[in-house]
Amino acid sequence: MDLTHYIAGPYCTKLLSGLGADVIKVERLGAGDGMRWLGPFFSGAEVITGDFAPEDGAWFLYLNTAKQSLALDLKSSRGRRVILELAAKADILVENFAPGGMDNLGLSYDDLKKANPALVVTSISNFGQSGPYRDWKASELNLYAIGGLMNITGEPEQEPLREGMPLAQLGAGQNAFAATMAALMYAEETGEGQQIDVSIAEYATNILENALMQFSYSGQEYSRVGNRGYGRAAWGIYPCQNGHVGIIAGPDQRWPQVARIMGREELSDPRFTSRAGRLEHADEVDAYMLPFLIDNDKIDIFKAGQESGLGFSFVATMEDILQMEQLLDRDYFVELDHPVAGKLTYPGAPIMPEDSVDAWVFKRAPLLGEHTAEALTSWLGYSRAQVSELVDQGVLAQSEGV
Amino acid sequence: MQKPPERMPLKNYRVLDLSRIWAGPYCTKLFADMGAEIIKMESLSVYDSHRGPVNPAKGIAAYPDGEPGDEPWNRNGWFNCLHMSKYGVTLELTKAEGRRVFERLVSISDVVIENFRQGSLERLGYTYEELRKHRPDLIYVSMPAFGNTGPWKGYLGYGIGQEQLSGMAHMTGYRGEGPMKSGINHGDPITGSHAAGVLMAALRHRRRTGKGMYIDVSQQESSVALMGPEVLAYQMTGQEPERRGNRSGWYAPANSYPCAGEDRWVTIAATNQDQWRSLAQAMDAAGLVDDPRFTTNEARRENHDGLDRIISEWTIGLEAYDLTRKLQRLGVPAGPVLRGPDLLQDAHYKDRGTFVTVDHPQVGPKQYPGIPWKMSATPGVVRWPSPTLGQHNREVYGELLGLTGLEIDQLDQTGIIGTKPTGSRII
Repeated sequence: MDLTHYIAGPYCTKLLSGLGADVIKVERLGAGDGMRWLGPFFSGAEVITGDFAPEDGAWFLYLNTAKQSLALDLKSSRGRRVILELAAKADILVENFAPGGMDNLGLSYDDLKKANPALVVTSISNFGQSGPYRDWKASELNLYAIGGLMNITGEPEQEPLREGMPLAQLGAGQNAFAATMAALMYAEETGEGQQIDVSIAEYATNILENALMQFSYSGQEYSRVGNRGYGRAAWGIYPCQNGHVGIIAGPDQRWPQVARIMGREELSDPRFTSRAGRLEHADEVDAYMLPFLIDNDKIDIFKAGQESGLGFSFVATMEDILQMEQLLDRDYFVELDHPVAGKLTYPGAPIMPEDSVDAWVFKRAPLLGEHTAEALTSWLGYSRAQVSELVDQGVLAQSEGV
Repeated sequence: MQKPPERMPLKNYRVLDLSRIWAGPYCTKLFADMGAEIIKMESLSVYDSHRGPVNPAKGIAAYPDGEPGDEPWNRNGWFNCLHMSKYGVTLELTKAEGRRVFERLVSISDVVIENFRQGSLERLGYTYEELRKHRPDLIYVSMPAFGNTGPWKGYLGYGIGQEQLSGMAHMTGYRGEGPMKSGINHGDPITGSHAAGVLMAALRHRRRTGKGMYIDVSQQESSVALMGPEVLAYQMTGQEPERRGNRSGWYAPANSYPCAGEDRWVTIAATNQDQWRSLAQAMDAAGLVDDPRFTTNEARRENHDGLDRIISEWTIGLEAYDLTRKLQRLGVPAGPVLRGPDLLQDAHYKDRGTFVTVDHPQVGPKQYPGIPWKMSATPGVVRWPSPTLGQHNREVYGELLGLTGLEIDQLDQTGIIGTKPTGSRII
């Protein structure tokens, strides 16, 4: 049972559907998941008007692969009853309403537990189901800030920066997936379900690593260092001929290779051979490396480093990703055809559990209400006539396709 | 060894953990948080490099008060925040007697996990096929940077690499400027968390079928999976994503704004028209709502620079938490940019027990990030601090494998196990 919307919850249930779970995504009548309204859209539309959700938004299409859509009026008592009937048959329910949202719908954990004591209920929210900030509103920007990640991203003399992708929400969705799997195993062994409380801000605090630890250990704050590694030199993102590359000078015994690749005798100077020496003369080291970098292609630089045992990288564009020989060789991408958005190339399984074509389910995202009748007939044994009646009463909607 | 916890989801599973640095250890940290028995195995000659060098300089902040002490490898915060509730052992896999011990450990483990450079374990003779001879239903998770096949399989990926090769860095940065790395290496926890969930699915599959599994993890693929929406958007629009700084592609305003104090900032995002009106109200600038530059979301996105200036003039003398509370009372998404000390003192995190105090024998009591979610039936607890190098050799090799004291002494005397490093490569 998937009562999630936007980013964090849908990413969690996308992982479950990828692993073969039957994920029934409950959406509002007409409007659906709010993510359906956010572009870019395949149609090229800039602004969406009207009462019916578009089907071709890039974010929705990616975050909801292999799920089934049930369009239902959650606020009606009949709709609530359908949810409780489905919960009785489900193993897992994931939701990311604001805390208290499920209670207001008459779907509190106690209600759900009564319907199914073995049910795993995973709740994802900005700050968690308890604590003084429980009811605060937040976007990714605010979560990245309160989670401590923003303070350490960006230039020291400029404002703190967030990641381009909503990594706090996506990461919390991932952790919710792991937590849900653990609780599912427990429920299957003991018959006892439970409620899981995942906070997006807390996810961020859990991955601060040394940025938090060095303050905890020695009282020294970690600060923004722009594109250089913290306390490192010749370690970071640099411009090159056609983009940007990641240079990692290390370990120390491999520094001669860096000097050789850059083609500069000066870099062999004993002042630069240790990490501490490079840090002391960081600007000078950069100045010797830049001429080579500016003259060379990002992938050539990446490979020159890697072939010498150095962990160089390059800043991949979306075009680079789609053409990346390593990903293509491993058959990572999958093409999915959608009735509105057409054929698009999707990144595949984040981890393919087994070297087998059946190990991950690749299916397009559902149209709004595409599986309403199917969910009720196959899971609850409703007749077609009963479904039609509920459609007529405005409790359900069934997509007629496009 | 300690008795397994009474009520924890993964208490019946044993993981032989050869992983190091962050991606693998984050996966096994989540397993340890869920009650699994993690045996973290290191080599005395090449221990987990998160422990830091054998002879670090004084003053490095990762050590308590910058003091590395006599055994710096046991006092490093990088390492000590990722291995709580795990057992720590050492073993030399290059020696025959070490290999015999290893194979016995494999035979009683449910999972072997490693994130060496591709092929490293294979060069020691341990392919999945070989490991399965010792444990037929073994689940083996191998997570090199780029996976175990393909033209880049032998390439290294550490530090900042995955954030760049996945396209994340391409989208991160100030407007009109180049790509920017983030403050952490996101690729590691992303891979570790994905791996934890998939590994549980594999254990569940084994419970139902009796079959083990070989899981080939590419850290890069795991990171690119989070870029999916932008990969699709690029195909739809033909445009590479813009670097937007702190702005949103959907609503305005959104940014971090300067506050009273040195390097103090508040983030504010008005994601809809109501929130925008409330923001103007909080600013005591109701006139802004009727200003044609800002009346609609489109207009605000168009005139974001001007709006940012106006908001900054309002925020600059005010305190970030106070501002946040004022905005939150009106329903406007806002939050202070928290720094290390703020996080550890924050009322919300204190209330939820987000950070836990753990007493490490060579460090003393310090605060650490705890279990990253709460569970009603199996809440769990951090059971013990991160192990010192080889701390649990006697428990694991004696109590678990049944080696005699004499046999363990012999392993110790021949340098196959021990608690003092014989070397350490460091990145």
